[in-house]
Amino acid sequence: MIEGNDLSAARKRLAAQQAELLNALLAKGPVPTGFDEQRIAVERRALLSKRRGIARMLGPAVADELGDRFRPLFDAYAVENPRRAGSRAREDAAAFAEWCRASGELSVNRKARWKFWQSN
Amino acid sequence: MAGITDLGVGIGWRSEIDLTVERLPGVDFVEVVAENLHIGHLPESVTLLLERGIPVLPHAVSLSLGGADEVDLKRVQHLGEIAEAVGAPMVSDHVCFVRAGGLDSGHLMPVPRTKDALDVLVANVRLAQRNLPVPLALENVAALLEWPDGELSEGQFLAELVERTDCWLLVDVANLYANARNIGTDPERFLDEIPLERLAYVHVAGGEQHGDVYHDTHAHAVLPEVLGVLDELCSRVRPPGVLLERDDNYPSDTEIASELAAIRAVVDKHRG
Repeated sequence: MIEGNDLSAARKRLAAQQAELLNALLAKGPVPTGFDEQRIAVERRALLSKRRGIARMLGPAVADELGDRFRPLFDAYAVENPRRAGSRAREDAAAFAEWCRASGELSVNRKARWKFWQSN
Repeated sequence: MAGITDLGVGIGWRSEIDLTVERLPGVDFVEVVAENLHIGHLPESVTLLLERGIPVLPHAVSLSLGGADEVDLKRVQHLGEIAEAVGAPMVSDHVCFVRAGGLDSGHLMPVPRTKDALDVLVANVRLAQRNLPVPLALENVAALLEWPDGELSEGQFLAELVERTDCWLLVDVANLYANARNIGTDPERFLDEIPLERLAYVHVAGGEQHGDVYHDTHAHAVLPEVLGVLDELCSRVRPPGVLLERDDNYPSDTEIASELAAIRAVVDKHRG
């Protein structure tokens, strides 16, 4: 059984590998060595699409108001604001709405409906 | 193991199809997504199913057991509490990671099939097992990309995991099909390599082909090819249970019923 120092060294190496991959997939980081660039692009799009779908489901009024602008705006927001570990999908949807208001894309008279949102 | 030997055919309970699940014929068991339930506030529909004697199995998506960090015991505790609240014989999560470097992928990411990753996964699974009231089953995920420098096949990796942790396996035949299409996994070799005697149950789901990529969407019909993988599995072992997952773009009750019937037909074909 692996214990103590060996395990903690394995955790460190694995942490670096996994962080590098998520950084590439979620935050425009470089493609890590050994990965297929096209596959990274496919995965990046799949993760973005899933996140966008959840934001649309949780904030249909925002999506409706934005109409055709929803998708490009969400995609721009998402790459600037990768989801932080421990954050919730509702916080993401709320943060996107705030981001749109801050950039003048959404009317500001709508009261923020999400109380748990925090800037990041 | 009591209670897990014959689950039958089931469906993933989701709040959007709660009434459908309640009235569908031939639902022998259901799964609930553990993170969506709260202790003390079980949905009425889930309580109704429990009153009917339908087994309810909590399925988790957030333990990140394949992640580099030590497993978050608060998440394990929640899963265990849900298991006790519904009297489940077993719980499950995935062989994957969802968090790393302070980011959350929002999806089940494959782990590298290396010794490091296996050692960490084994340590995390053992810690989770020690803190759960019931056995843990772990599911193979669908991957759109392959880590470099893999030292083991996916089947070998899972076999090692079972050997070292005594966990159960939840085999998702749609994920197996997806990996065959997308990263060249050989489903037959996978089924040859995993310890089928540790099979807890099986997942089946729909997806769609986009160009040269198959997406495991859980929002489209189950492909005949996925039932083909189920058929291959059933030719080797009688699965204790088979469960249909549908998470979006919900079809009519009739369509769901016919997918369940198609699954049952494959399972029954191999019963002598």
